[in-house]
Amino acid sequence: MIRRKHTLAAAVVVSAALALTACGGEAPASDLSSVKIMAPFLEAQPPTADGAVQKKLEELTGKDVNITWTPNASYEDKMNITLASSDIPHVLVVQGKTPGFVKNAEAGAFWDLTDKLKDYPNLKTTFPEVQQNASVNGKVYGVYRGRNPIRAAVMFRQDWLDKLGLKAPETTEDLYKVAKAFTEQDPDGNGQNDTYGITIPKWGGLGTNSPYDLVETWYGAGNRWAERDGKLVPSFETDEFLEANRFIKKMVDEKLINPDFATFDSTKWNEPFFNGKGGIIIDVDSRASVLINLFKQANPNDFQNKVGFVGSLKGPDGELHAHPTDGYSGFLAIPKSSVKTEADLKNVLTFLDKLNSKEAAVLINNGIEGVNFNVVDGLAATIKPETPEGKAVNTDIKSFAQLGTNVTGNNFYPVKQASEYEQKVFDDRVAVMAKDLKSAVYNPAAAFVSPTYVAKGAQLDNIVADARIKYLAGQTDEQGLKDAIKLWNTSGGDKVKEEINKLWQDNKK
Amino acid sequence: MTAPVVEAKASERVAAKPPAPRRRRGFAVHFAHYKWLYLLLLPGVLYFAVFRYGPMYGVSIAFKDYVPFLGVNGSPWVGVTNFTDFFANPDFPQLLGNTLILAFLNLGIAFPLTIILALLLNEVRLSVLKRTVQTLVYIPHFLSWTIVASLSFLLFALDIGPLFQFVNGLFGTNVDILSDPNWFRPLIVLQEIWKNTGWGTIIFLAALATVDQDQYEAAIIDGAGRFRRVWHITLPGIRSTIIVMLILAIGQMLNTGFEQIYLMTNALNRSVADVFDTYVYFVGITQGAYSYSTAVGLFKSLVGIVLIFGTNWLSKRFNQSGLF
Repeated sequence: MIRRKHTLAAAVVVSAALALTACGGEAPASDLSSVKIMAPFLEAQPPTADGAVQKKLEELTGKDVNITWTPNASYEDKMNITLASSDIPHVLVVQGKTPGFVKNAEAGAFWDLTDKLKDYPNLKTTFPEVQQNASVNGKVYGVYRGRNPIRAAVMFRQDWLDKLGLKAPETTEDLYKVAKAFTEQDPDGNGQNDTYGITIPKWGGLGTNSPYDLVETWYGAGNRWAERDGKLVPSFETDEFLEANRFIKKMVDEKLINPDFATFDSTKWNEPFFNGKGGIIIDVDSRASVLINLFKQANPNDFQNKVGFVGSLKGPDGELHAHPTDGYSGFLAIPKSSVKTEADLKNVLTFLDKLNSKEAAVLINNGIEGVNFNVVDGLAATIKPETPEGKAVNTDIKSFAQLGTNVTGNNFYPVKQASEYEQKVFDDRVAVMAKDLKSAVYNPAAAFVSPTYVAKGAQLDNIVADARIKYLAGQTDEQGLKDAIKLWNTSGGDKVKEEINKLWQDNKK
Repeated sequence: MTAPVVEAKASERVAAKPPAPRRRRGFAVHFAHYKWLYLLLLPGVLYFAVFRYGPMYGVSIAFKDYVPFLGVNGSPWVGVTNFTDFFANPDFPQLLGNTLILAFLNLGIAFPLTIILALLLNEVRLSVLKRTVQTLVYIPHFLSWTIVASLSFLLFALDIGPLFQFVNGLFGTNVDILSDPNWFRPLIVLQEIWKNTGWGTIIFLAALATVDQDQYEAAIIDGAGRFRRVWHITLPGIRSTIIVMLILAIGQMLNTGFEQIYLMTNALNRSVADVFDTYVYFVGITQGAYSYSTAVGLFKSLVGIVLIFGTNWLSKRFNQSGLF
């Protein structure tokens, strides 16, 4: 009796353990009447599943849409963990070609869509070069999410500029002069030496469109990679890179840049500008509108003359080397473990095709006409005063816009700005960016993924990125910076260069 | 009912092979006798089997080239490549150095401070004052590291932070404490002391309450002063508690507090700030190098086990009392 009981007990233990540790079993057979999506959200709260936008989206696509909204700050971590789990969505927003993604893709985790997208009218891109940038060595693993290729801008306190009788900067040398005047000539007129030129936050990584990256590109150092003597070299191995950093260091040494640039919290970036401490910000052009809004909220009667901006600046060689982004911000990939057959894949692609139709693009970017916006002269005018329904839609679309791909250009309405002044600034931004696009310096290696870089690129780049900040802060000298670049090469960078050059050469043929 | 049968069978065998069956019989009887106690133990064993030992099969990815899509079993074996890569990595000596220095600073400064604070509190005779102080020093423990880091950023803010001005005034310098590599370790240890010293006194205060009061009386009659009493009665009285806490602290030593260090790191102090925990996060989670970072984590755990057994052995050798 007792022995049998023991056996029974043991059996219970073992089966319980098995049930608990087994890897979730089989995924449910996919009928794909509902599509599961994983996407990031940047707002305080994710949209709710019963919101008007989601209902309308389900109506438009004919599918139940089941979206797992994940906070943007931890999206990369969560995505990696999700890929390792058994509960994998049908559509996954991938934010970039991170090592985790590339490894999974090369192991066959995602459908190769290179020859498939052209069969879908709304997924067949009108910007093939951007699709190429978003590919992994030519293989397209997702529908890229299009972004403005030119976003770099210099924003400055227009009122300070006017008071000191200066002109908006056009070259990097002008930038220095304006920054110096903002620091030394008491632009706020309070009789105290309490202002500085440029505010730079804690932002070190290479190739992250940081203020440092922008100035380097303007100096002619290229964009991540540059062609020198028929070969691709990393931007930081060019002479222009050193010149650009000497220039920034000069400004740091003369206290034209906030001294705590290595630790300054980037979420507080607007504060010195708004509070009249630091007069210049080098970032994306959309920050100009954010800044204008800050001044408007503080004083709705006097905000028109506070913020000025220009696009990319001419370098010391007198040429304009505008700094573009790669033109995309990640892509929507389709995992093979949740979408198992070609037929299912067609189903999902049809869904994505509908998601990128004009109706859906308007829905997820503008909202619902008559509820939160009306079309006025081809612009989306927000309905004021905001009704509760309108407010819910306005909040939801900020997150739903993350699903937009716009691979055939922006099919939704530009937003009508709140006042004439803001509309003018918005139109100016569009014009400046269109002008800079003609001089854009693209990253020639954007499409290429080198195996060594996947394995340790981020650590390698950190060597140079940290050395750059140390050099600017005066913790090391120019030789120290050069030594770090040498260390980058000997720690594996040599191989990265070799691999990238091979891919580049092969691609040219 | 079954017991005698077992016994009879066993006694037959005794004649042939004496020692082994005796023990087996002993175990069966013992097991039958205490079956309900073993049943009570079962949930605990299950918990450890399922949630602690079960997941350990995942440690095998330290010896594989793990790709989430292929799964733990499907990923190819690579032997000890991940370990050799790590030891050959130029980062390795720096990581090991940073981790050990921070660990020993915390152990050498924060740990004795806890005992000193407990002794001081124990000497306070005014009960209201004692309890108020106790409550006040516990509070920081309940603040998250994010709040502690934010407070530090405010207090040490360049040029305007009150502590920035105080410290630089004291030393006649003008350094940015938040980014200066020389200030990183003092800052971390200070935060640790501020946050956890008070909380750590709880166990020592409990131990102090058990020290025999008669001994103090006798010592006072013999003319022992306050320090003599602390040295000869109080400290020996709580010695075993101190040793247990020390062994536990050493076992935790290499867990240098991921959040705290992650929050205080920046490009300028990274050379002294990178420790195993932040490195595992950076390489493993953000770069998707799971196998490599598991190997690093495994190495860290091995060092932790060696440390805990080593201290236990040492303490047994010198005091005849250890944790196990």
